[in-house]
Amino acid sequence: MLDFVGLESDLGDEERLIRDTAREFVEERVRPDIADHYEAGTFPTELITEMGEMGFYAPNLDGYDLPNVSETAYGLLMQELEACDSGLRSMASVQGALVMYPIHAFGSEAQKEQWLPDMGRGEKIGCFGLTEPEHGSNPSAMETRAEAADGGYVLNGSKTWITNAPIADVAVVWARDKSSDGNPVRGFLVETDRDGFVVNKITEKLSLRASITGEFGLNDVFVPEENVLPGVEGMKGPLSCLTQARYGIAWGAVGAARDCFEVARDYATDREQFDTPIASFQLQQEKLAEMATQITTSQLLAHRLAELKERGDLRPQHVSMAKRNNVRMARDQARVAREMLGGNGITSDYSPMRHMANMETVYTYEGTHDIHTLILGQDLTGIAAFE
Amino acid sequence: MKVLVTVKEVAAVEDEFQIAGTSIDETYLEYDLNEWDDYAVEEAVQLQEAGIADEVVAVTIGPERSEETIRMALAKGADRAVRIWDDALEGADLLDVGAKTAILEKVVEEEDPDIVLSGVQADDDGFGATGVSLADALGYEWAAVVNHLDQDSVESGTASVRRELEGGVEELTDVELPAVLTIQTGINEPRYASLRGIRQAQRKEIAPKTLGDLGLDAAAVENELELTDMYEPETESDATYFEGGPDEAAGQLADLLREKGVGAQ
Ligand SMILES: Cc1cc2nc3c(=O)[nH]c(=O)nc-3n(C[C@H](O)[C@H](O)[C@H](O)COP(=O)(O)OP(=O)(O)OC[C@H]3O[C@@H](n4cnc5c(N)ncnc54)[C@H](O)[C@@H]3O)c2cc1C
Repeated sequence: MLDFVGLESDLGDEERLIRDTAREFVEERVRPDIADHYEAGTFPTELITEMGEMGFYAPNLDGYDLPNVSETAYGLLMQELEACDSGLRSMASVQGALVMYPIHAFGSEAQKEQWLPDMGRGEKIGCFGLTEPEHGSNPSAMETRAEAADGGYVLNGSKTWITNAPIADVAVVWARDKSSDGNPVRGFLVETDRDGFVVNKITEKLSLRASITGEFGLNDVFVPEENVLPGVEGMKGPLSCLTQARYGIAWGAVGAARDCFEVARDYATDREQFDTPIASFQLQQEKLAEMATQITTSQLLAHRLAELKERGDLRPQHVSMAKRNNVRMARDQARVAREMLGGNGITSDYSPMRHMANMETVYTYEGTHDIHTLILGQDLTGIAAFE
Repeated sequence: MKVLVTVKEVAAVEDEFQIAGTSIDETYLEYDLNEWDDYAVEEAVQLQEAGIADEVVAVTIGPERSEETIRMALAKGADRAVRIWDDALEGADLLDVGAKTAILEKVVEEEDPDIVLSGVQADDDGFGATGVSLADALGYEWAAVVNHLDQDSVESGTASVRRELEGGVEELTDVELPAVLTIQTGINEPRYASLRGIRQAQRKEIAPKTLGDLGLDAAAVENELELTDMYEPETESDATYFEGGPDEAAGQLADLLREKGVGAQ
């Protein structure tokens, strides 16, 4: 397994065990059927609770039966999940970083007790509703609104492109609070069986097919006061969740690219043309050399991010750089790997084209590549090009 | 009730490797928990989860590096571990069944378990004898190649087991405790270590012990066996393709099987 500068040889015992366990689980439980799920456009839902038993949801959080592993261990887990499929990593990212994280960071004690242990075990599923049909890259222009009503709030609006919405028990809905001064964005925990909550599945995806995506409408949905996340107001709420999830994506992209590399290397040493393995041609060697270099430099960035996160020095802009760089890298290298497989690479028997298609989603969600460019531009110049 | 599980870190070679004399350089080796022991650990943890065992102790003979592998057993639910190693063991290039028996016998005397679970065999040196030899030395009853254990029976002081014999034949038998059972793969479905388990395992004890601590000296590991050679066996593959329709092909297969002695009395 590619680890060219031996970053993983320096892992602690615990981190290595976590990596090995995740790798073994993915290899035995998920990989054998993932291409079939991808083709069918289904997620292996029976794995949701199994992944919960493994402790794969929000393992870097503390308390509430959660394992509280290091940020490196968490990153390695995301890497191993995405080496199989971005849909698998998305399941863990949404549940852990986008739903459990805001409950853990901004929720009341009662909300934490109610949701975190069950979600950690995968017995309850959550989704994160930020994007709207008319507002993607600029979520602060969201139209979904909450009006104070007797004992709570009434929500109206619609959210789309919501991972896991069709199977979720609860949605974290970000909406403008029309009853407060300045209409701040607030987070609401909306149980999906509430009256007026309508969800539809999005079925026409050509990317991230082994992941369930949906849209939902809120038509006068009442939620009691105790369903509001008390600890946060403004865009800081959703954005801080996204920083957690993007951190995982920066690691995950390395896993997907590594898988592409390993498949391409195996294939190239095996496949013979002109009476010799194609790996003996300089053109193919250049591809492998470049791929390995790109993966290794991205991996270095991910490991550095873990150190910064662990000691509390990680800034969202650091994560933007890593998400932007590593996902672009995986997107480009998946294509190169696919190309090395010739015609066989076009089938679902080999992973690179699946990763390649997945990377189109990963390139777009959690802040598009362009938007991260603008975030970095602002950080480097002090001038915002998008506000 | 206390369960002692013997576990071993086994080495596997990578696809490409080189033999130097009678050893293989570390760079070509990967270490893992012996597959059979994984099933033995699972069986022990299940006894604990069923409320039958109060404590599961893992014991290994291995260098400090092996702690990484032994932690896997702790992560899956064993309560603590004992690891035996010292210079005399480090210096021995082969530990035969007699040496392992002598060491484990002392550990069993110290721990005084009600039941000892070992793997049928180790994936690397493959002697396949340590468990039974240990039972013999201790004067315990034993059952080898166990592929089913009736957990309730254990509580009453007798282990009702199913053993695998040659040629697909199985035997149901009862053994009085304390006893040694050598566990066959497939007896259960070993769990994956969860992240919570891995975290907890970091705080569990792996007690290091030397031969001296067990009241043994270097003589205990003097081997009657000597490693004289190491080589890669030639792999031969010889495939026969039967031509023709199913009838014809089946006839040819039957002839071949008969010729090879299948069905002969
Ligand atoms: C499979 C999938 C799962 C998803 N899961 C979730 C989820 O669980 N929860 C959730 O809330 N959302 C989710 N999303 C939504 C995702 O976050 C959005 O698609 C993304 O933020 C982009 O928004 P948009 O699609 O509206 O594109 P737009 O914002 O309309 O962007 C279109 C193009 O314009 C570019 N662009 C926009 N603004 C600028 C600018 N200022 N300067 C230069 N270029 C610009 C973009 O980079 C992009 O290339 C998911 C999306 C997909 C595809």
